[in-house]
Amino acid sequence: MTNSNARDLFPGALELMILESLRRQPAHGYALVQHIQQRSNNLLQVEEGSLYPALQRLLKAKLVKAEWGVSSTNRRVRTYEITAAGIRHLEQEISSFERMFEGIALVLNPAKSPAN
Amino acid sequence: MSWILDIFRRRALYNDLSEEIRGHLEERTEQIMREGMSHKEAEQAARRAFGNRTVLEERSREVWQWPTLESIWADVRYAIRQFKNSPGFSVTVILSLTLGLGANTTIFTFVNALLLRPPAVQDGGRLVEVLRHDAQASGIEAYSNLSYPGYADLRDHNRSLSGFAAFDGDGRTVSWSHNGQGEMVYGQLVSSNFFSVLGVEPALGRFFQPDEDKGGSSAPTVVISHSFWQRRFGGDRAVLGRVLTLNGAGYTVVGVTPASFNGVIIGFRHDFWTTLAMTPILIHDRDRMGSDTSSWLFGVGRLKPGVSKNEAQADLTVLTRNEHSSDRHAAVMDATAFPLQLMPGPVRGYVAAFTGMLMAAVGLVLLIACANAANLVLARATTRHRELAVRSALGATRFRIIRQALTESLILSMMGGAGGLLIAWWSIPALLRLTPATIPVSIEAPLDWRVFAFTFVASLLSGIVFGVLPALRSARRDLVPALKDGRQLAGPRRSRLRGSLVVAQITVCLVLLISAGLCVRSLINARSIDPGFSTHDIAVAQLNPGGLGYTEAQDRQFYQLLLERVRALPGVSSASLSDYLPLGTSRTVHDVQIDRVNPPPGQDFIPVQVAYVAPDFFRTMGVPLLNGRDYLPQDAEPKSGKVIINQAMASHYWPGQNPIGQHFKDHQQTVEIVGVAKTGKYRTLSEDPLDFMYLPLGPQPQEFLVVRTGAGEDAALREIRKVIQNLDPNVVPMEMETISQYMALPLFAARTTGVLLAVFGSVALLLATIGLSGIVSYSVTQRTNEIGVRMALGADRLDVVRLILKQGMRLTGIGLVLGLALSFAATRVLAGLLYGIKPGDPLTFAGVSVFLGLVAFISCYLPARRAASIDPMRSLRAE
Repeated sequence: MTNSNARDLFPGALELMILESLRRQPAHGYALVQHIQQRSNNLLQVEEGSLYPALQRLLKAKLVKAEWGVSSTNRRVRTYEITAAGIRHLEQEISSFERMFEGIALVLNPAKSPAN
Repeated sequence: MSWILDIFRRRALYNDLSEEIRGHLEERTEQIMREGMSHKEAEQAARRAFGNRTVLEERSREVWQWPTLESIWADVRYAIRQFKNSPGFSVTVILSLTLGLGANTTIFTFVNALLLRPPAVQDGGRLVEVLRHDAQASGIEAYSNLSYPGYADLRDHNRSLSGFAAFDGDGRTVSWSHNGQGEMVYGQLVSSNFFSVLGVEPALGRFFQPDEDKGGSSAPTVVISHSFWQRRFGGDRAVLGRVLTLNGAGYTVVGVTPASFNGVIIGFRHDFWTTLAMTPILIHDRDRMGSDTSSWLFGVGRLKPGVSKNEAQADLTVLTRNEHSSDRHAAVMDATAFPLQLMPGPVRGYVAAFTGMLMAAVGLVLLIACANAANLVLARATTRHRELAVRSALGATRFRIIRQALTESLILSMMGGAGGLLIAWWSIPALLRLTPATIPVSIEAPLDWRVFAFTFVASLLSGIVFGVLPALRSARRDLVPALKDGRQLAGPRRSRLRGSLVVAQITVCLVLLISAGLCVRSLINARSIDPGFSTHDIAVAQLNPGGLGYTEAQDRQFYQLLLERVRALPGVSSASLSDYLPLGTSRTVHDVQIDRVNPPPGQDFIPVQVAYVAPDFFRTMGVPLLNGRDYLPQDAEPKSGKVIINQAMASHYWPGQNPIGQHFKDHQQTVEIVGVAKTGKYRTLSEDPLDFMYLPLGPQPQEFLVVRTGAGEDAALREIRKVIQNLDPNVVPMEMETISQYMALPLFAARTTGVLLAVFGSVALLLATIGLSGIVSYSVTQRTNEIGVRMALGADRLDVVRLILKQGMRLTGIGLVLGLALSFAATRVLAGLLYGIKPGDPLTFAGVSVFLGLVAFISCYLPARRAASIDPMRSLRAE
């Protein structure tokens, strides 16, 4: 089943991508999915629905806020916007993600590791 | 407190979410349609891309919930809805568990009361109970109490205890004279540091001063118990300073104990405490305090910081051995320390073994109840498989379904546990009434937190035990056939599991019933054992005018008048006195020398148990005199040297001779045999014939009055009480009872075990019957089609009955065989409680097996008959 592959994302990765997308511009759920899929060159096959539990978590943590409005295609949509707390959280997460990635890269490529 | 707001906003949040997701799907569908698909195809594609909408929506909602708590609550509500749909099932399961858990809770309440409840003292873990122990003896006889000099020595010289107190091992029944009347109250003699070592603080007033132990200077004082204060003084604070006349002497009330404190030894009711120094005054025993050989005190020590119980025991042992170094038994007397508990250390093991056996019995009852519940849940699961299949198809995970099933069984078991507590609450007072009414024991058996915790854990475990198997089973199923036709065939595996549950029930039930059968038969045997005296139409009173400080002459006069007046009462045919009643708790043994007879190896004398009796004792008690004569009043004169022996002693030492007129030495006095009485039971009902002799009774402070009455012993008891009151209102009979009430004590253990096992056995039988007939009825329902086909093909009613019976009786047969094997092992445990019957008694084994087989047959036959009345046409049409 496809949804077990989608789980390959590490926990919190989806939230991180949502926050990053929202920092660029507020969007509603469907637009967010489109955006993430396009930006990742369709490498990340996110199950569309799994966006919603993630959005609810972010809402609950007050990292994003939501408002009903009308979209460019004249559709009643719920638009999400990142909050100040969301931006702070995103920056922390990105830097810790980068450190983690650096660490993983060092382990995977020991030749490139500095003085040892 | 945003979570509170969340709860109220939740519905709005959920609606938003649903609308949002719908919008998402529409937008995706439109986009796919733009790529050239039909509306229908596009819709399906959009849903595929989205994933399982139900699950995702649920997960999104869960973000706003306390996930576990709320989904458990949802499970609970769902479960209760299920129970409402099938009340018959729920009630049966709950009742089964109520019986099982009720029996367990009841017995545990007693275990708790006897062994677990700690005394109400401060930091009880640092308190030790100190006794002496004879390293060469074994069992309970090896332990003895401390003498006062022995206690004082340990108190003054030990290095391991920060405080060492002592208390009288016997409760004292004392006459409290007030308003010109005597009232029986219960007291205990304690060292003056008793309360301070225990760390108990007075609720009112003070406790004893350190110097009050030494006696002499200070006036006698008492501390009274909170309940006595409330009961007799209405909780009046002015009780301090009042003088109570106890056994003829005045004691000033100085303090009241807290309500929680009721001494540190189980079973006694305490109305007051006074100091050991009062021993000569309170119980008129002048020699006791100075005596090395009177063992009557329990030691209670508080360990010094850093000292362990074993270190203290070693320290005290050294002192004890030194103390006895001049003694013949010197090196073998050790001190021994137990953690202080309400049940004295030496008997804890025996009580634990007895109650443990009862716990095992009720554990078996609970197992049967669980097997029953499991069976019912399994049966119901087959009718619910479609519901479960639908739930799985809608995205319920395996874990979720197991959790739901377990939630249901836990709710049932918790309700059973609540029912069990109700049963215990109702049955404990009834059981306490089984204790002999005349003994001043007060066992408190409260339903405290330990009992609640036990019942909770037992319910939880039962719920898991009977719920887990059906739960795992319900989650492991093939969805497609279940969804397709909604019917499932009774698979061989399922029925094998249920069958083995029934086998287990029959097995356990047989073990219980055989044990109960043995106990009941032994009880019948015990009742028919001839104790050697009459067990009806006798009234008994125990008197202690000596406790009031009577002189010997006053004593003599009191008893003489008493006998005269009692004999004159209507309906009384004879009355007598003795210092002993057979099968009682006290025992006196004399050293006897008989010419040409060698004493037992290793001893200088022949030990013979003895009782002192007044004239007419034999006639009154209904003990036949086989030879010779009864005592005459003049035999009671000192140096008269007359003795009456029992038949066992006569045939032991004067075989083939006429014992009348023979002489032997009792201690240093030569006595002449004037009579031979029939051998009776003296210590226990199950004993072999014992040598026994009766000596003439002189004036004694404490005596039994025995009165032969016509019918109506109770009326006679009231008359006798009046006679005693008229003689001296301050003499309070310590025990007044009919002989049949008196006999309750020797039969107590056997009777209690018999009653309890009979009750448990009946419960087990009831549960096993429900289980067996349940599974047979169920299989009849399952096999309706098959039976219809068979009948259509020519099977007659008898064939059908046989078919169904065969299944049930096969299970019964296996259960009976296993049960018999297990019973042979299990009933060994009962050996010590049985009178006149062997644990492996073949008659009981066979009888109970046949009985259980018959009951099983009936519970299979009824559903079988129903099967036989199936109309083949109708059952086939239903196909």
